[in-house]
Amino acid sequence: MNRSLPRRSQEPVAWSLFGAGGMLLAFLGPALVAITLLVLPALPAGDGASVHAAILAALRHPLGGLLAFFALALTFFHTVHRLCHGLHDLHVPLSARLVGWLGYGTATLLSLLAAVWLLGL
Amino acid sequence: MRKPLLPRQDALWWWRHPAYRRYMLREATALPLFLYALCLLYGVRELGRGETAFNAWLAFMGSPLIIVLQALALLAVLWHAWTWFQLVPKILVIPTRNGSVPGQWLRLAHLLPAVLCWVLLPLLAWWALGHVVGGAA
Repeated sequence: MNRSLPRRSQEPVAWSLFGAGGMLLAFLGPALVAITLLVLPALPAGDGASVHAAILAALRHPLGGLLAFFALALTFFHTVHRLCHGLHDLHVPLSARLVGWLGYGTATLLSLLAAVWLLGL
Repeated sequence: MRKPLLPRQDALWWWRHPAYRRYMLREATALPLFLYALCLLYGVRELGRGETAFNAWLAFMGSPLIIVLQALALLAVLWHAWTWFQLVPKILVIPTRNGSVPGQWLRLAHLLPAVLCWVLLPLLAWWALGHVVGGAA
């Protein structure tokens, strides 16, 4: 009966996550990299305990944790989307279905890990 | 005469035109950013394993290879942001009484607050963490 219906594409879902990740990265990405590349090493050494406690407190806060989760998960989905399409552009002889399953599967798995580890803090 | 078989596009097609090369560079920004996000995910795990593990992660983030990765990620994310905001007017069209809001305004309306974020958030982090570490830094 349903055989005449076209197969639904996953592209709208993939593109929504890609778009959300792209916007988040464009606004917050440079600041985030600047913090880990420049700010963290420039902190006075010898008091690692208080930096650890401060970042732990920030990510244990529901808002901090949620922001960290979205920053990680959407970045994974954004970059995986581009990498999958990049493989296609480079004519890598792998089926789009396989690349999609591997790519978005990896992004889903990494996002789950982020959720588990953030909730476990 | 029969219709000739068109040759398949080769894998280096994007190298032959500056616009295609810019496109590939934009798509390639995803690779360092993916690896950088992996580093952050690793950091979240180490954060939960206590202070010693977290300090080891800080040292990992300071190792030469990861410094290079972060520098690449910074360049990549800046190029991503620039190209991303250039495309905004193609996706976001705001109709007005006669026409639509000019694309240049939409680009600026994204780029200016973004630049503000890029400058202010690291300063905020520097200020907040400095307070935590030194009492007054």
